[in-house]
Amino acid sequence: MKTQISAFHSPIKTAGKRRSLFREILLNKYIYLLLLPGVAFYIIFSYIPMYGVTLAFKQFIIKKGILGSPWVGFRNFEYILGEPEFWKVFKNTLIISFGRIITGFPVPIIFAILFNELREGAYKKGLQTVYTFPHFLSWVIIAGIVRNLFSNDGAINNLLFLLGAEKYNFLASNNLFRPLLFITDIWKEAGWSSIIYLATIAGISPELYEAASIDGANRFQRIIHITWPELRSTVVLLLILAVGNCMNAGFDQVYNLYNPLVYDSGDIIDTYVFRITFLTNPDFGVSTAVGLFKSFINMFLLIAADRFLKLIGERGIY
Amino acid sequence: MQMKAKSRSDKFFDVIVALVLGLWGLIILYPFYNSLLVSLVTQETYVKTPFMLYPEEITFESYLHVFKSPYLWSGYRVTLFVVVVGVAYSMFLTVTMAYALSRKKFPGKGLVLNMIIVTMFFGGGMVPFYLLVKSLHLVNSVFAMIIPAGVNTYYMLIIRNYFQTIPESMEESAKMDGANDIAILFKIMLPLAVPVMATVILFLAVDRWNEWFNAMMFIRDSSKHPLQLALMRVIQDTNQLNVGGVPAAQQKPLFSDGVKMASIFVVMLPIMCVYPFVQKYFMKGILIGAVKG
Repeated sequence: MKTQISAFHSPIKTAGKRRSLFREILLNKYIYLLLLPGVAFYIIFSYIPMYGVTLAFKQFIIKKGILGSPWVGFRNFEYILGEPEFWKVFKNTLIISFGRIITGFPVPIIFAILFNELREGAYKKGLQTVYTFPHFLSWVIIAGIVRNLFSNDGAINNLLFLLGAEKYNFLASNNLFRPLLFITDIWKEAGWSSIIYLATIAGISPELYEAASIDGANRFQRIIHITWPELRSTVVLLLILAVGNCMNAGFDQVYNLYNPLVYDSGDIIDTYVFRITFLTNPDFGVSTAVGLFKSFINMFLLIAADRFLKLIGERGIY
Repeated sequence: MQMKAKSRSDKFFDVIVALVLGLWGLIILYPFYNSLLVSLVTQETYVKTPFMLYPEEITFESYLHVFKSPYLWSGYRVTLFVVVVGVAYSMFLTVTMAYALSRKKFPGKGLVLNMIIVTMFFGGGMVPFYLLVKSLHLVNSVFAMIIPAGVNTYYMLIIRNYFQTIPESMEESAKMDGANDIAILFKIMLPLAVPVMATVILFLAVDRWNEWFNAMMFIRDSSKHPLQLALMRVIQDTNQLNVGGVPAAQQKPLFSDGVKMASIFVVMLPIMCVYPFVQKYFMKGILIGAVKG
């Protein structure tokens, strides 16, 4: 009976809704006005380029533009997936990204835990200024400093020489390039990345710690049983995001630090695409195809990481 | 608030932590110190002294060479322009959007929000972006560094979240007095949101200051190169410093490493000076974003 009555009423209700929808829009007209610039920006700079993704399936002829260029189906993908160089950079991208996660991800966490144990004061504040500072410098600057430091006449090699070891050509060696990437990245970002964890730790109630120390727990045990569990959900979330982002292996850093001698180990998808798009004979269709491929892998990894962590009992993003 | 005195093992732990963290601080500082040294010595000293810890003789010749270069000065001018105009432009787009999206229900709000979130995961990629900027006739214009960098979604959401915490009662009483949404934004919301806005302005300023990629892709004219790009060119080849006319007169061959390090310091100087004072704004910004986001 109830359903009969509501079905009878609904046409009237819908008509009422339509009228008030128009009124709602009118009432909020200034909000729409305020929204306009930003939405226009997103449409122009985020959505229109998305249409350009069709280039991945076309052969780009400059004179004809995107719309006029002919469709070639999956030919661009077939081409790129058959290029050994592409697989090399794909492999490098994965190795470097996961290497970054393995070496660099734990550092801010450990850092935050230790830093939190430090007594408040000028020393602590000063240290924090020092740690977080490199994050705000561009890789242009940091790469310039690193290039000098690790050059053949630079301080690091001089130190090695003084200690009786042999000098290394850090910046041109395929064996050392990736570790160099990891180490300099940690150097630059660990301090800043630790802030999120510090904030989480600061939110832990001190009474938990007091109760634990009354029960006889020492510093170390308190860290393991109180600090860490509180940090876990933040850590998991950031880990998922890091894995989901791993197709972006750090263009800024690699571009500023690499040279042709280390392409074998250091060339990543983004730097490869950049070179073939702008420096040699560009085939825009192929470059776009690579970008699309990258996005798909990113999405896939993000979902996979989320599912995996949910499987082992953590809360995911979705 | 300790109920009992610190045990000896606790104090020992404290000392170790302080030492380890201090060591890490030195590791961060050392490369800067080393670069500073290189910028202040001559080529002879550099080659002669393995592993310098202090300079035997200071010379300012590298810095003089850098200061005489028109390329770095034009870089500074361009970057200052990009920072001032770019931040104003970005803030305009960001704040209007953040405010509008912070209002309670209105038709289309969910749609817009979803549209924005999608852009955080999908993009057209480098090539469509390049073609778009080209079709907008922004190639070789300083505005190529400003216009495409309009709204940073993350910062926008931070400001939006902040607006949402402002009690509705303020908005309601203003509406009863006849104010429309725009007036409310300017007269009530903005004054209340000054700390958040200051933080986002600082973040945006740093982003603009560090801009080099768009410039590298789009700007051919070296007089329009921003500071970071100019620095990149100089690090690749110190002869770039002569770009722009008036090649610096040289009595002897250039100490290229010294000049490169001097350039780095000249570019780094503003941030180095300003950072300790504004550091707390940046950290607060992250906290607001992280806790609410």
